[in-house]
Amino acid sequence: MMGKTFEQGRPCMNEAPGISEQLVKRIQKHIDRMPSLSTTVTKVLEICNRPDTSPNDLNRVISLDPVLTGQVLKLINSAYYSLPNQVSSLARAIIMLGLNTVKNLALSTAILGTVGREDSFQSLAMDDFWTHSLCVGVTAKMLAAQLRVPRDQQEEYFVAGLLHDLGKIPLNNCFTQEYRQAQELAILEEKPLCRAEMTLMGIDHAMVGKMIGEKWQLSENLVALLTYHHDPEAAPEETQRLVRIAALANAYANLNKIGSAGDRHPDKSQADAVAVSLDIGWGEVAEMEVAVQQEIDKAQVFLRVAKEAR
Amino acid sequence: MRVRFWGVRGSIPCPGPATVRYGGNTPSLEVRFPALDNRLIIIDAGSGIRELGNTMMATDFKQGPINTELFLTHTHWDHIMGFPFFVPIYLPTTNLTVYGPVSYEGEGLDRVVGGQLTYRYFPVRDAELAAKIKYVDLKEGERDLGGGIRLTTKYLNHPILCLGYRFEYQGKVLCTAYDTEPYRNLFCTDPTDPAYDEAMAHEGDLVAMEQNGLLERFFAGADLLVHDTQYTEVEYRASKLGWGHSSMEHAVAAATRAGVKRMALFHHDPLRTDDQLDELTSRYCTGSAPEIFFAREGMEIEL
Repeated sequence: MMGKTFEQGRPCMNEAPGISEQLVKRIQKHIDRMPSLSTTVTKVLEICNRPDTSPNDLNRVISLDPVLTGQVLKLINSAYYSLPNQVSSLARAIIMLGLNTVKNLALSTAILGTVGREDSFQSLAMDDFWTHSLCVGVTAKMLAAQLRVPRDQQEEYFVAGLLHDLGKIPLNNCFTQEYRQAQELAILEEKPLCRAEMTLMGIDHAMVGKMIGEKWQLSENLVALLTYHHDPEAAPEETQRLVRIAALANAYANLNKIGSAGDRHPDKSQADAVAVSLDIGWGEVAEMEVAVQQEIDKAQVFLRVAKEAR
Repeated sequence: MRVRFWGVRGSIPCPGPATVRYGGNTPSLEVRFPALDNRLIIIDAGSGIRELGNTMMATDFKQGPINTELFLTHTHWDHIMGFPFFVPIYLPTTNLTVYGPVSYEGEGLDRVVGGQLTYRYFPVRDAELAAKIKYVDLKEGERDLGGGIRLTTKYLNHPILCLGYRFEYQGKVLCTAYDTEPYRNLFCTDPTDPAYDEAMAHEGDLVAMEQNGLLERFFAGADLLVHDTQYTEVEYRASKLGWGHSSMEHAVAAATRAGVKRMALFHHDPLRTDDQLDELTSRYCTGSAPEIFFAREGMEIEL
């Protein structure tokens, strides 16, 4: 391992030559076994991003997934009301708590319930990973608000932040040993983790993220985010605002070491360039620190329910 | 039990020539238990609590240190804004317990209420308060307050967690149901609408009816019910659906069904003038079961 070095200047991206077919197959197999996000969650996402969501639509789309329904009700009963079995159906929840509360609970629960499994985590510490992801989610959403992204689109920024590192889950699961080495190499050479992944495995989490996004039929925005969050300039034009904002949020989380997803030395000069392209200063980002921490604390309850649900 | 209204207004204090008779302060109720050494329970810390505090300084404080309990129905601003002006919190001898509902999304009660005392809003900081203040988060349930006082709490229908309080003491019942709006079916109920779903529409009706029924059961038989009646039914239907407040018509009908003995219409809209309230009195306060009146600042009721 010690003999390997980074190829200078090579960005993290998905068209690396010479990936072994066997490796891709193995990852693909793992992704196939991951519970699918395609039906309910994408629908929930779509419904939740509409400003005119009707109670009927929301009830219908969540009810398609009995597990999600159970988790949402559990969250409401435990966290919101601390009364077991008080709220026994979604229709009841919508009438008692209102549409928006149920909408937001469902959205976050849907995603964490799908990808938050403990057994998906080998060399990454799950709690650190999700704290990092939550931090990127809440920061991206706050940045979006500050940069005047319309309100009805801001939730997508939270989801984007929460999911941006999805590609690390299969990598770290299929190649636990190599993945640990990649993290060590990144620390040793003080380089971004995705470059170490590429050096050791010939594939990085952005490429794997793209595979998952396509398999799950996520929106174009989210696929672009999974693919290009370490190289926002390469993202398709119409997705660039989301990718840039999430990339900046990611750099913020990594530089401030809020949680950890193994990337201790992000590309600072690239993050600076992203900040410039968004016309926002680091000072403004730093000012959000207290609010970000508060939002992360609030969102922790989702992790608890996602974990308990297994 | 003796109940006194120190603030009866909703939303924001509205002093002025048009609100002199009913009062312009936001909610604060004093509940005394003369047989329990004049024990004091306060419900809500709207702007009305300022005058109550001043009165306590002139009376209770002369007898010794102030021990009191403050029950917040919820933490919307009109129900907590008087807290920094409640003089007993500045006395080192005061013992105050603050009870109230807090949702998991929010900060603790201490931050929500005490958070008003930061230099940004007020010249004294929370940490500088001399009194011994304890905060207790409440959920729906029952609680023994000692001295033979039983408390039952019930979630109401308001945009944030909000509790109704039912105090029972020696067979007498005081109940608060504010701020609250009747539960209603949010699902599509029009069979010709493509989104219509019979099962959903049916369940929605059922849940709304059941929740409204539970609330009526909560205040059933109360000797005094203090109920949110910010709007008339016409105002409510025209533009206030989902705002979290009740109409006079709804509240009066519910209290009548529930066998309430006396009812205070409460949380008056800030736009409502004294003359309008007089006019509404002749419209809504005619029955004797329950006996109904619009709450006025300074009014005292013996239970």
